[in-house]
Amino acid sequence: MSPSDVFTGFLHVPWGDYAGNIGWGLARTLAYTVASFLGAAVLGLLLALMRLNRLRLVRLPAALYTEVFKNVPLLAIIFVTYFGLPSVGIKLSVFAAGVLSLVLFYAAYLSEIFRAAIAGIHSGQNEAAQALGLGRGTTFGHVVLPQALRLALPGTNTMFVDLLKSTSLLVTISAAELMTQAQLIASETFRALEVYLVIAAIYFAVCYPVSQSLLWLERTIQAGVPLSRGRRRRLRLARTLLAGETP
Amino acid sequence: MTQHAVNVEAATARPAVTIRGLRKSFDGRQVLGGIDLDVPGGRIVSIIGQSGGGKTTLMRCVNLLEQPDDGVIEVNGEAICAGGAVTCKDLARLRQRVGMVFQRFNLFPHLTAVENVVLAQMHAAGIGEREAVERAVRLLTRVGLAHRATAYPERMSGGEQQRVAIARALALGPTVLLFDEPTSALDPESTGEVLRVMRELAADGMTMILVTHELPFAREVSDWVVFIDGGKIIEQGAAADVLDRPREARTRAYVAKYAASG
Ligand SMILES: Nc1ncnc2c1ncn2[C@@H]1O[C@H](COP(=O)(O)OP(=O)(O)O)[C@@H](O)[C@H]1O
Ligand SMILES: [Mg+2]
Repeated sequence: MSPSDVFTGFLHVPWGDYAGNIGWGLARTLAYTVASFLGAAVLGLLLALMRLNRLRLVRLPAALYTEVFKNVPLLAIIFVTYFGLPSVGIKLSVFAAGVLSLVLFYAAYLSEIFRAAIAGIHSGQNEAAQALGLGRGTTFGHVVLPQALRLALPGTNTMFVDLLKSTSLLVTISAAELMTQAQLIASETFRALEVYLVIAAIYFAVCYPVSQSLLWLERTIQAGVPLSRGRRRRLRLARTLLAGETP
Repeated sequence: MTQHAVNVEAATARPAVTIRGLRKSFDGRQVLGGIDLDVPGGRIVSIIGQSGGGKTTLMRCVNLLEQPDDGVIEVNGEAICAGGAVTCKDLARLRQRVGMVFQRFNLFPHLTAVENVVLAQMHAAGIGEREAVERAVRLLTRVGLAHRATAYPERMSGGEQQRVAIARALALGPTVLLFDEPTSALDPESTGEVLRVMRELAADGMTMILVTHELPFAREVSDWVVFIDGGKIIEQGAAADVLDRPREARTRAYVAKYAASG
């Protein structure tokens, strides 16, 4: 098949008929990505905090978890949760099994990133907060977490895009996301090359802007642009007072 | 060694901090071996001595960043710890009354100068946002940093950062300020800026406990100088006596060394 055959091959796929499939698949892909990422971030943060705990009894299970799930292929986790668990009476929907697998897997990686970020904050920060009478919760929320987020952002961004791409593995449990739709269209049109090239291009078209925006977010925060409304309001008030006006 | 912790003139002032029999060990190694010290209100007490002598630990006990093993500490007449137990019921309030300035500034790097001064006002002292910002701006102006109020710490010189740290501690209205080697990480110019601010605080009657190796400055501002070595007070007295006419050999050696190195 020559390159020009590939080009004319694109025209043999009735894309208009499949626009609905592709749109739906894209929506499913994004739903899996967002739900799994939120879950993985929460579990990852919990694991990170556990691994930084004083008590060995708390640290150990979290460390064990992280090592296990970092060293098992995602596909194996998907198969265990979807095909394996029903034999012990746990029957999950495709969506639940898909999200659970991604959460379990990515939480392990995110916990490593979060742990390093939190541990990377100088002990003097905690001391200063304590010496100012800030409680443990406030210290974590206003001093440790904002700094840790900045440190964790680059690694977390990489993981987000990685997770988005990994949702394509859910084709193995027919999750109705982009890759599953691609398989369907390819089998109906017998145009595997053209269809998979287009689907790959769609993944790229989603991932590239996402990773660029996350990069922009990193640079914006690095440049010291305050993102929260409260911070902007306080800075505005300070500037007004400094300018000697009555706000 | 004298047991008279308070000089005659200062004896009339109400004690801001009283320390009796303070002991602290780390991993079985004694770091403070029975410290008695009085800091009258409105006075400045300097603590000098070789590093490793226990100066930082002593300061950290006064705001309970470190829990003493034994002894009594009173702040403004209220016992905050006794016999190895913390008796202070409200740690946040204690730390509002006892401010601390660190050698390495420890500013919050993700916040601008003014936000550094605002944070604890709002989240520890429960002061409203508007009042907190107004007070922060006033204090930054007072330490000569109005023009740097919206800058981040990493864009500031060491001297500027330490002055922000002083404003941050002042914002909670402390009755006592603890300074732990506030100029040790600074170049001479920055040191001058910070000492100028501290001099003004002294003139305003702020009670201060100061750990420093800047002997000329200690000589100038302190009412009382305490020399600590090996976790014990070796010698204490009026600044001129201890620094110009030290009686103990160890004090003499220390004073000679730091007077020579400037
Ligand atoms: N948290 C700690 N754990 C163990 N040892 C400590 C701790 N803090 C201080 N020390 C030890 O206590 C001694 C006194 O330290 P420090 O109070 O910092 O002295 P200084 O401020 O006079 O240099 C040193 O030997 C130091 O290593
Ligand atoms: Mg020290």
